[in-house]
Amino acid sequence: MTLTAPVSTIRRLPAQPGEVIDRKSTLHFTFDGKSYRGHPGDTIVSALLANGVTVFSRSFKYHRPRGVMVAGYLDPGCTVQVDDEPNVRGAHRRLAAGMAVSSQNVWPSLGFDVAAANDVIGRFLTAGFYYKTFIKPQSLWPLYDKVLSRFAAGGRVSDNGTHGYYDKRYAHPDVLVAGGGPAGMAAAIAAADNGASVMLVDEEYELGGHLRYQPEDRARLAELRQEIAKRTSIEVLVDSVVTGRYDQNWVAVVQRGLPGIHERLIKARAKVLVVAPGLVERPYVFAGNDKPGVMLSTGIRRLINLWAVKPGTSAVVLTANASGDQAVADLARVGVDVARVVDARLGQSVVRARGPKHAVAEVEMSDGTRVAANLLVTATGWTAPTSLINMAGSRPVYDGTAARFFPGSLPDDVLVVGGIVGDGSLDQVTDHAMATGRLAALRAVATRVGWQTQRTWAEPASEPKAIEEIAIPDLPRDPHPELFRSSTHGIVDLNEDVDSKDILMAAREGYDSIELVKRYTTVTMGPNQGKLETINAVATLAEARGETIEEVGTTVWRPPYAPITLGALGGRTWEPVRYSPMQPWHEANGAVHLVAGQWIRPDSYGDPAAEVRNVRENVGIIDVTPLGKLDLRGPDVSHLLNLLYVNKWSKLDVGAVRYGVMCAEDGVVLDDGVTGRLADDWYMMTTTSSGAATVWEWVENWLQTEHPDWKIHVTPVTTGYASINVAGPKTRTLLSRLVDGIDLSPEAFPYMNVRQGRIAGVDCFMWRIGFTGELSYECHVPAGYGLHLWEALLEAGHDLGAAPFGIEAQRIMRLEKGHFIVGQDTDGLTRGFSAGIDWLIKLDKSEFAGKPELVWQSETSDWPRLVALQPIDGGTVPPEASQIVEAGSKIAGRITSSRFSPSLGRSICLGIVDPHLAAAGTEVTVHLPNGRNIRARVMEHHAHLDPEGTRLRG
Amino acid sequence: MAEPVARSPIRQISPTRLLAGWEVSTRRSEASLRLADLTPLSKVMIRTSPEAVRPGQTPFGRAVLRPNGWLEIGSGPGEWMVLGPIGSGDEIVSWMTEHVHDTEQPVTVIDVTHGRALIRLQGTEAASLLAKVCSIDLADHMAPDGCAFRAPVANVVSDLVRNDQNGARTYLIHCERSSGQYLVDTLLDAGAEFGVELEGFPERPF
Repeated sequence: MTLTAPVSTIRRLPAQPGEVIDRKSTLHFTFDGKSYRGHPGDTIVSALLANGVTVFSRSFKYHRPRGVMVAGYLDPGCTVQVDDEPNVRGAHRRLAAGMAVSSQNVWPSLGFDVAAANDVIGRFLTAGFYYKTFIKPQSLWPLYDKVLSRFAAGGRVSDNGTHGYYDKRYAHPDVLVAGGGPAGMAAAIAAADNGASVMLVDEEYELGGHLRYQPEDRARLAELRQEIAKRTSIEVLVDSVVTGRYDQNWVAVVQRGLPGIHERLIKARAKVLVVAPGLVERPYVFAGNDKPGVMLSTGIRRLINLWAVKPGTSAVVLTANASGDQAVADLARVGVDVARVVDARLGQSVVRARGPKHAVAEVEMSDGTRVAANLLVTATGWTAPTSLINMAGSRPVYDGTAARFFPGSLPDDVLVVGGIVGDGSLDQVTDHAMATGRLAALRAVATRVGWQTQRTWAEPASEPKAIEEIAIPDLPRDPHPELFRSSTHGIVDLNEDVDSKDILMAAREGYDSIELVKRYTTVTMGPNQGKLETINAVATLAEARGETIEEVGTTVWRPPYAPITLGALGGRTWEPVRYSPMQPWHEANGAVHLVAGQWIRPDSYGDPAAEVRNVRENVGIIDVTPLGKLDLRGPDVSHLLNLLYVNKWSKLDVGAVRYGVMCAEDGVVLDDGVTGRLADDWYMMTTTSSGAATVWEWVENWLQTEHPDWKIHVTPVTTGYASINVAGPKTRTLLSRLVDGIDLSPEAFPYMNVRQGRIAGVDCFMWRIGFTGELSYECHVPAGYGLHLWEALLEAGHDLGAAPFGIEAQRIMRLEKGHFIVGQDTDGLTRGFSAGIDWLIKLDKSEFAGKPELVWQSETSDWPRLVALQPIDGGTVPPEASQIVEAGSKIAGRITSSRFSPSLGRSICLGIVDPHLAAAGTEVTVHLPNGRNIRARVMEHHAHLDPEGTRLRG
Repeated sequence: MAEPVARSPIRQISPTRLLAGWEVSTRRSEASLRLADLTPLSKVMIRTSPEAVRPGQTPFGRAVLRPNGWLEIGSGPGEWMVLGPIGSGDEIVSWMTEHVHDTEQPVTVIDVTHGRALIRLQGTEAASLLAKVCSIDLADHMAPDGCAFRAPVANVVSDLVRNDQNGARTYLIHCERSSGQYLVDTLLDAGAEFGVELEGFPERPF
């Protein structure tokens, strides 16, 4: 059932001057499955109202029917689902053809909502109900969580829905004006005229603020809009909202309405922020104040003047200001019977709206009289949304005469204009804003000139101009009666269904600060973030405490100013990935990829075990381009190597390669790799693939902070070379077919040496090393030739069985050989001796990184050791990270690497064990994740295969 | 054995041809915003002290086109990059090694042609596209023609040079090679709203 007003009580009016709808076009859409029509320019809610629909949602807690109240962005009763998008502000979102709009937070329907039973038992659902009711027993918390989450308000997102394009952009305006009403527009114009680039942001679809729905100010609005349009230095963003102000005026803006882009998060670094949010009309608290038909005066004026919607047939208007008076005039002009004007300035008031749950039928006055009406309009005061200035550190100050808060002190790069500052005529407001905009421009330009001077690449700037004194005219503050709550109780927070009685009870229970009341009752915590309800909440608490509003103070507004979608926050995810030059071949030949750091690497080509066997029997090639490579040049490189590695480097000959391990100052293994000497003052250091950036930083850190006197240049060249490791007994045969200028014989090119020459017609350097434990040469060629070399190797080695192998095969082979991997077989606590590199660590060196810790470690014996392990049952491969236990459940180590060895036909492992278990031959217990225990034996060598190194030295 | 062919990290859209041993695209585009792969250009890095005697004396943060067609970029304090025609790397290395003198620091001249990807972004909306992936203020007064700076572009550390050509706003974007394809893919995604298109290796790179 769709809740509609009686026929013809709400309908489209004849054309209104200044209306924003295009009556020449018709848009078709549905609401809860029923078809309706509207016009371009309509909001979802204005179109539905014009069709007689008056209830759009159910309230958060009590599930009461809710209608239009604000007819704008902050309307608490108009949140709907549009297609797959939940929580759309229906009184703001423009209608589009084909929209499928539905109510949310209802079941089974908007007309009959089962959860409306909450309203019947509402007196039991007071503040803190959930805290008090569901605290015990603790064992039922998961059940409570499951059941209560079903009642959570909000729309639904389909798991299978398409996701819009959420974009990001950086901006650097001199002046950012938050708010496009008359004051914001005037400030933007003045700022632009004084040399500033300006970003002008407004949440509505057109600039103008309240002038848009004030027919009497249309000419002035047109004039301001024209002036804005003339200035190319003003970027106007409408349907956009400034969601936060952070340090140094980092301002976040969410922009909507761009073609093909659902939302865009703009990260703006504004030199000066001008806050021009206008004023938000405050609801009045009384019994029945949330019934459909209770509206704010500004809401009435929007409906009539922007969308030509007649909001009812008979009205009572409670007015305390000009906005209420103007609403009376508007209503009368369009034929609504204004049955009673209740003038709060004369002490009159309303106490209750009566009628069925989904409509107003009668209004009860403070004098006891009752008037039949289907519309109750209130104009009882204003709230200045001080959120952005709160975020800039300013605490608002209450002025009882004007009955609202005003800004406290502000930093120099934040200025305020418009209703947040004061009242006065339109001319007074724009004059004040123009002067402020000029000041903003002068301050911003001075900052910009300073930045230009600091940046070497910027255009040279002239001397900053002294900021001249600018007289900012005062804005008067109009007196206004303090009207917050009538003699009856009603809803204070229409988003969260928080009643004035809830606040009084919270105060009685001891939650007597506004920040505590906020968290206890959730008042001001809904989607409007307190813009409608903060002052009423403060006033109600002040009443409970017998204090003034100044004494109670306000809550602190933090970002976001308005709810922000996860899509906007996430946006486009710029996550770099890196490819080797051989990636096209890998992709074309069925490589199974893995992500290693940012690198996309072939894990295998389908059968890692077969790849291992091929390397052991024939020859394989692997793409090791990601291996970190640092080009080191200068006369002091050997000093650097001696400082960073735990072993000695003074006597590395040209043409030689040496393995080294780096430890951090705490003695923990940092990285490992080989470094070769290519010429007297030229070395090439390799690092682990994942450690390349860390080691570069590590090297630069030592050079720049400890040894700036050393003459060394470090250049990362990881991707300058395509790197291919050729391994297997037939390697030399294969390479001899392609290599020029290098004698590959074991005598001329022994293990742990480097040579330069040409391969496949390309310059190269290659070193003989053996991570896989096989005879192998690592060939490095300029990266652009990587694919050429890869294909040449496979072609030339076809008859030798040459085939690629991936990371998994390499890991199996290195485990067979007992080579550890930093980060896999070591962790953030593994000091050098624990990694089993006793033979490498040279404590007799004068100084090296980590030496003091390693000396200390060498003087003790209570540290764990990395050992090779073989399960007694060679068919069982214990998962990595399986615990090694003793005496039942005492943890005495863990498996760090574990594979089934195709070469040995059994499982093999590396593991860290406590020292008393490290002796060769010791049997340990490995506790598997499935609960089973197996036995494994500690081996004599780390190498399970060829511990003598016959294969790799061949 | 096939003749060696050098390839960019960026996929070349057809048609392609060999240019001085490099595979390059010859596609032409009339789009108002275009992306070209200049990776085959020679790139030579020079490192020494900022006070070293150098031929061009290009300061840090600026790029200067030398009469011989080399673009000399002050890419960091004591660090320069010289871009030259395809295959000119050895010539640049030799010339720089001979002409740069420093009594305080060693002079390191390295040909990094194969280690870097180089992209040219040209068109009126070039700055608007970059503003989606780079947080630097690209306004004329902050990043004028001829400026050079280092900044993350879509989270890849890059050297940017503003190198306007015939009044067309142009940026050279230079990053380590393995991220080249990612960077191009990202710029095409971010530039879709501006109609950005790939074009082949240009007649006049800068």
